Amino acid sequence: MPDLLESTDPSRGDRALEGPLVRAPLSLVNGARIANKSESLEAKDSAAAELGPKTGPPVLFFDRVSRWYGPVIGVNGVTLELRSGITGLVGHNGSGKSTLMRLAAGHLRPDLGAVLVEGRQAWTAEAKRHVGYCPELDTYYEEMSGRRFIQCMARLSGFSRAEARSRGDEVLELVGMADRAQRPLAGYSKGMRQRIKLAQALIHDPKLLLLDEPLSGIDPIGRRESIQLFHKLAGRGKCLLISSHELEELEKLTDHVAIMAAGRIAAVGPLTQIRDLLDDHPLSIRVASDQNKVLATALLDCDDVVGLDRLPDDALLVRARNPRRFFQRLTELVISEHLEISHLESLDESTHDVLGYLLGGKS
Amino acid sequence: MTVQLLHYRAWQGAFRRPSWGVWPIARVALGSLLRRRLFWLLYAASLFLFLMFFFGGYLLDWAVTQVSQAPIKVGNVTLDTERLVRSMRQTLQVLSGNQDTFAYFFNFQGTMVMIVLALTGAVLVGNDFTFRSLPFYLSKPINRWHYILGKCLAVAVVVNLLTTLPALGLYMQHGMDEWEYFTNVAYFEESGMGRGPASWVLLLGVLGFGTILTVFLSVTLVAAASWMRRTMPLVMVWCAVFLFLHMVAVILVDGLRYNVHWRLLGLWNNLCLLGYACLGFDHETIWPAPQPSFLAAGITLGGVMLLCLTYLNQRTRAVEIVR
Amino acid sequence: MTGSRAFFYLILLSWQRQARAHLMLWIAGGLLAFAAFLVLANTWNGRWNMSYWRVPGGGGVTYGDQIRAFAMARDLPLAGSAASVTQLAWSTQRLVVDDASGFFVFSNRIVFFLFTTFLMPLWTLSFATEGLGREREAGNLVWVLSRPLSRPAIYLAKFLAAVPWCLALNMGGFALLCVLAGWPGILALAIYWPAVLMGTLALASLFHFLGAFARRASVVAILYAFFLETIAGNLPGHLKRLSISFYTRCLMFEQAHEFGIQPERPSIYLPVSGSFAVTVLATVSIVLLVAGAWIFARKEYLELT
Repeated sequence: MPDLLESTDPSRGDRALEGPLVRAPLSLVNGARIANKSESLEAKDSAAAELGPKTGPPVLFFDRVSRWYGPVIGVNGVTLELRSGITGLVGHNGSGKSTLMRLAAGHLRPDLGAVLVEGRQAWTAEAKRHVGYCPELDTYYEEMSGRRFIQCMARLSGFSRAEARSRGDEVLELVGMADRAQRPLAGYSKGMRQRIKLAQALIHDPKLLLLDEPLSGIDPIGRRESIQLFHKLAGRGKCLLISSHELEELEKLTDHVAIMAAGRIAAVGPLTQIRDLLDDHPLSIRVASDQNKVLATALLDCDDVVGLDRLPDDALLVRARNPRRFFQRLTELVISEHLEISHLESLDESTHDVLGYLLGGKS
Repeated sequence: MTVQLLHYRAWQGAFRRPSWGVWPIARVALGSLLRRRLFWLLYAASLFLFLMFFFGGYLLDWAVTQVSQAPIKVGNVTLDTERLVRSMRQTLQVLSGNQDTFAYFFNFQGTMVMIVLALTGAVLVGNDFTFRSLPFYLSKPINRWHYILGKCLAVAVVVNLLTTLPALGLYMQHGMDEWEYFTNVAYFEESGMGRGPASWVLLLGVLGFGTILTVFLSVTLVAAASWMRRTMPLVMVWCAVFLFLHMVAVILVDGLRYNVHWRLLGLWNNLCLLGYACLGFDHETIWPAPQPSFLAAGITLGGVMLLCLTYLNQRTRAVEIVR
Repeated sequence: MTGSRAFFYLILLSWQRQARAHLMLWIAGGLLAFAAFLVLANTWNGRWNMSYWRVPGGGGVTYGDQIRAFAMARDLPLAGSAASVTQLAWSTQRLVVDDASGFFVFSNRIVFFLFTTFLMPLWTLSFATEGLGREREAGNLVWVLSRPLSRPAIYLAKFLAAVPWCLALNMGGFALLCVLAGWPGILALAIYWPAVLMGTLALASLFHFLGAFARRASVVAILYAFFLETIAGNLPGHLKRLSISFYTRCLMFEQAHEFGIQPERPSIYLPVSGSFAVTVLATVSIVLLVAGAWIFARKEYLELT
């Protein structure tokens, strides 16, 4: 269990921090036809995935990284090591997810520590050869068609004109945009723009894919296709770091998540284990209503409540073990007993509080 | 369980008329401008001229005092200090706080006003298009004209911060030096310290000059920024309209000796002409000579404003497709 | 190999994207067309001379009237030395005012006043700051920064893409204005083109630097162009040595010295020699390019979120 929490010793954290090697059968990828070149890539990548790249340098390594924006800390002493497979990066707005992504993409430099991609500083051009970055922003060269944009990105990655054309067609096929890529980007829907963004990240076949909110704005069918694509890429031995503030969305993708809160990695590892960890640590909640006695009696009957105190101002201090179940029960009580809650406050500002929120405790 | 438990209270008051929305729009626009360091840097640079006039007056007084107290001798000849003082005041009457002071101040402030307004236009109007914040305004129960008026108001505040406000500061400074400056319209004639009116007539002139600049520049800037939207094209058009055409006018009239009416191409010159009229200048004394009539300048500016308003009217009717 | 291929493609792409900035091209073209029309109309009217100048300025008679008066006096039946003095005055004034003043008038009004003070800085700043400034403002610089290209290479490629536009507008525009002016213009073109070339490169280097350095590069650039160049550039003393157009003008003054072109008051203007001006302009171009690449390599663009 201690492995789940942030590790400051990379050599110790390997086992818990490493993403799972998802080996989705390639034939399941929604019947998408992949060109000859990518077929050969598939065979090679499948072999790599089977070998499991457990040796050698990690694909992405954050070594005690801190990053400030003036007086505000964006990322605080993060150590994280990713090899292959999908890792979900979850946290609420402002928790530091995008900063972490931009550090990994080499758009920001750490104030302390180092960010290494394949053993090279993420800021350098050599590192960027191995990184496919799909940013959250939504601005393109609007006058271009989707195909031309992808070919431009290919040529800026060093492909010749012919290579850029064939490689562009391949990735457009892969993201399901081959038949719509001739239209100008300015006329694309949000979902189409997301796919183009994904295609440009894939164009140079990078080892590390940094996908910042890649599923936002995509319709359910598109999401399913994208998720299948991510599984397929992971199956090829790619390392995917996918950020989202929706845990449910990430659960469909991977069981392996890193949870960010206030610039820190609050926990990293399999989601089921994180839930267990949270349940073992009670959460302190201050609650007051118009009928505190009735509320206290009802709460004492609740299995998840492990302690209850009366505060000087007549409010109740509740210690609950499973936040999600506790809040569900509290809501039921409020409705059934016709209580008017005048105060509800979580007193536990530790990471567990944040985890409780992220894992659905307050939902 | 009712919705009251959520402590939700429906709005009980009466909504104000949409015209009340003009000032909040201006306030938000000004807020986005005033928090930029570049704006304050430019504003500080623009205040150099104000400081020059402000301390120039004191410097002149100090020099006059020095000269009066210690007679100047050249060889064995003692110079007539009274005549010397008069001559100094005559030469530097631009610092005396009369119509020349304000004419020079407004005219010289032109370059900084143009530069600051180029930034202002890009931030106040261009950003709404660039960052797609226009739908937030247009989704409120206000007319598009209220949006434009709000933006014009914001530009007007900036123009006044750069021109009228420092000019009023200069007016107050001279009034505090000599109370008669506030009360006696014929102060300059009687004291022989310059020309033109003083007191409320001069104050009205300063306010009139400021008003002309405010109205014209706010309408033209909002029109130009709505048209160009991006900073660089806006800067190019703004510079072309106010600097390039002014230079062409100077070349044609002063350089190549064409008809004086070509000077009407210079919009800043036209604005200054009308401002000089407010300050009570005699047309023949305006430099550089020759100048077109005040009426011609007014008609030109009116025509340009009409064009801008027509364009803005078209623009407000247009359907904006915002992604 | 792949790195250099990407570098050259970035030059091409940036150049093409500048070409697609239709609005800016239209405005730049419009300015050129207006200036060209002005020059052409003046050439058509035969006014590249001083015959319309008045002595004394403002309300006096024109030089043209004076020449006509001398011509009438020459035709009078004057005797001896009076006739020869009248003849000499007529021929001298005609030579100076009608024939030799064209280059002076064109240089002063179009080259120094309109082109060097306004058109050259504006055209250069509009295309050189846009190399990086436009992509920063639109937020799509992120695509280039995500590619495996080194930051200095991106900076240099953007500069190399912007320079042809600046040169095309400045050199091409200058040549057009000169050709339309007739012989004074053609003479000006032959004399001034090296100064225009050097000035363009130095200004492009400066404005490209500002594009990497400042978020509102265009505003900072016009602040420089019309505040430091125009106001400080005309102040007495050495402050004007901070302005690039000062060196451009000095180079022009030296090259046109034999035609009597010089600053209005050399004792106040304090011009530098042509070779010194060339050295400064070349050094400024190189130093700013290197400094810009260095800054760009280290700068984080936080607005690209």
